[in-house]
Amino acid sequence: MSDIAASDIVETVPSALIVLDRNLNISSANRAFYQTFRTSPGETEGCHIYDLGNRQWDIPALRSLLESVIPHRASVEGFEVEHNFPTIGRRTMLVNARKILRPGDHDGFILLAIEDVSEERAARNESKRNWQLTQSIVDTIRDPLVVLENNMTIVTASKAFLTIFGITEAETQGRRLSELGQHQWDVPALRHLMEKVLPENKPIEGFEIEDTFPGLGRRVFNLNARRISQPGNHAQRMLLVFEDITHRKQRERDALSLTNEISHRIKNNLQIIVGLIAYEARWTAAPCVQGYKVMQARIGAIAQLYDLISQSSRGRTVAVDAYLRDIAKTMSASLLGNTSGIKIDVKAEPLEIDPDRAVPFGLLVNELATNAIKHAFPDGAGRVVLSVEQIGDQIELTVADDGVGIKDENSAKVPEKRGSEYVAIFVRQLGGTIVPSGSEGPGTIVRIRLPLLLVPPGGAERVAA
Amino acid sequence: MMAMILIVEDDVFILEMAAMMVQDWGHHTLSASDVDDALSLLRSPQQIDALFTDIYLNTAVFGGCELAHQAVKLRPNLRVLYTTGNAVTDKLRALFVEGAHFLRKPYTHHQLQDSIEGLLAA
Repeated sequence: MSDIAASDIVETVPSALIVLDRNLNISSANRAFYQTFRTSPGETEGCHIYDLGNRQWDIPALRSLLESVIPHRASVEGFEVEHNFPTIGRRTMLVNARKILRPGDHDGFILLAIEDVSEERAARNESKRNWQLTQSIVDTIRDPLVVLENNMTIVTASKAFLTIFGITEAETQGRRLSELGQHQWDVPALRHLMEKVLPENKPIEGFEIEDTFPGLGRRVFNLNARRISQPGNHAQRMLLVFEDITHRKQRERDALSLTNEISHRIKNNLQIIVGLIAYEARWTAAPCVQGYKVMQARIGAIAQLYDLISQSSRGRTVAVDAYLRDIAKTMSASLLGNTSGIKIDVKAEPLEIDPDRAVPFGLLVNELATNAIKHAFPDGAGRVVLSVEQIGDQIELTVADDGVGIKDENSAKVPEKRGSEYVAIFVRQLGGTIVPSGSEGPGTIVRIRLPLLLVPPGGAERVAA
Repeated sequence: MMAMILIVEDDVFILEMAAMMVQDWGHHTLSASDVDDALSLLRSPQQIDALFTDIYLNTAVFGGCELAHQAVKLRPNLRVLYTTGNAVTDKLRALFVEGAHFLRKPYTHHQLQDSIEGLLAA
């Protein structure tokens, strides 16, 4: 290869190249060197390497390379030099060195190829710092969590995960969640949900797993998973968090068994009362039996309201909408059956009442709706609509039917009169008023206004008693 | 049809009242107040057509459900009517034996009569 061709190659390679003589004086450098270190051939050639540019190349690491390593070896590759250059700032250089001996020249030259890897190193450090930061955040979260790869293998597991499940980091990496421990997480329903998290971006919220874990005993975990993606990176991973809800679950179970216990006792007591009435009815003359039957039905209604109230309870309040729907459902089942031509519909805004008023409210609705069912539809077909809406600072309860209407109130028979007396009592108990309503079409409509909730929803304090 | 009905109920008063009502309609009754008493009757050669049991029996929250499962194993043709004052959730229904009937507590004289007749007619 001719000299001209060699110098052409030297000038075009992107790495900075310099050639030193045996005394470490620079005999030549390429264009990339002058550009990278912002210097010129005039300032460089013939200059001792350490004197170059105000002695900025007098670097201990470079000295050790040139004075201790090179003399004993023909070449050195990947020697890393980090230095703060006054002209170009802090740089990390990767230096390759090679001794070149020409025929007849015993001393030879040293060729140094210098590659600026500062940005690559900075990016690598930044990524390392980010990873450490992420890991330290992950480790401070008390709930155990894992990050999963696309193929469901574990990328990283938090300290809490390792501690709680008694495994080492090495045991988790690259393993599938389903392979861990005694395969507690190998649940088909969970696997099915997990398979949807990444492709469909469908998070898992509150998947419960109850099992016996070695060293932990019986535990209930609430699993949440979502897709995480890094900006500029197409790879998607899944974050899976395990919340230990064992104690919460136990408290819920205790509360439920207490509720069941109390409910069992209350219902048994009501059953005793119903039984006493039934017993009395055995010895009572036929005309009076109807009264005993009605009494038993009303006790049954109170018992059912008790169940509905516990189902519709939201903390310290009862959801009127849910409660009304339950009452309608129960009445349909007990009074109408599946084949009836009478339908009970509910139109309800989401409103709440205090539990103290829930029973008289339910009995009121029961009374009004029962009256409608009994008297409005001689043909056995029609519609009863129960509705609640907020009007100003009041709740308006409406029970409307599209039946035959009330002809003459004075002609009402004794049981109906008694029913309307009950209605008046319940309305008074609820602190409400009956709104007189004119004839707005066929059927009967009863409107009752009650003060809004006395307890703020979920609030701890009673505003007014 | 006159039938022999085994009534299982932990409250003696409710048990007696139910037995009295059922007898009023011409049926015969056997009474038990817990699972063990009921099982010894079911294991005896006594004719029993139907089991009417409370679900919550003393401390056994699902005692009636456990009893019914053992009872139908002993007597596959036995008809079962459950009662409870507690909410009947889907989870609870899943514990019922196949073809069982259910009556909510408190039940009236007529509701019990309808349920027993429905049970025996099924």
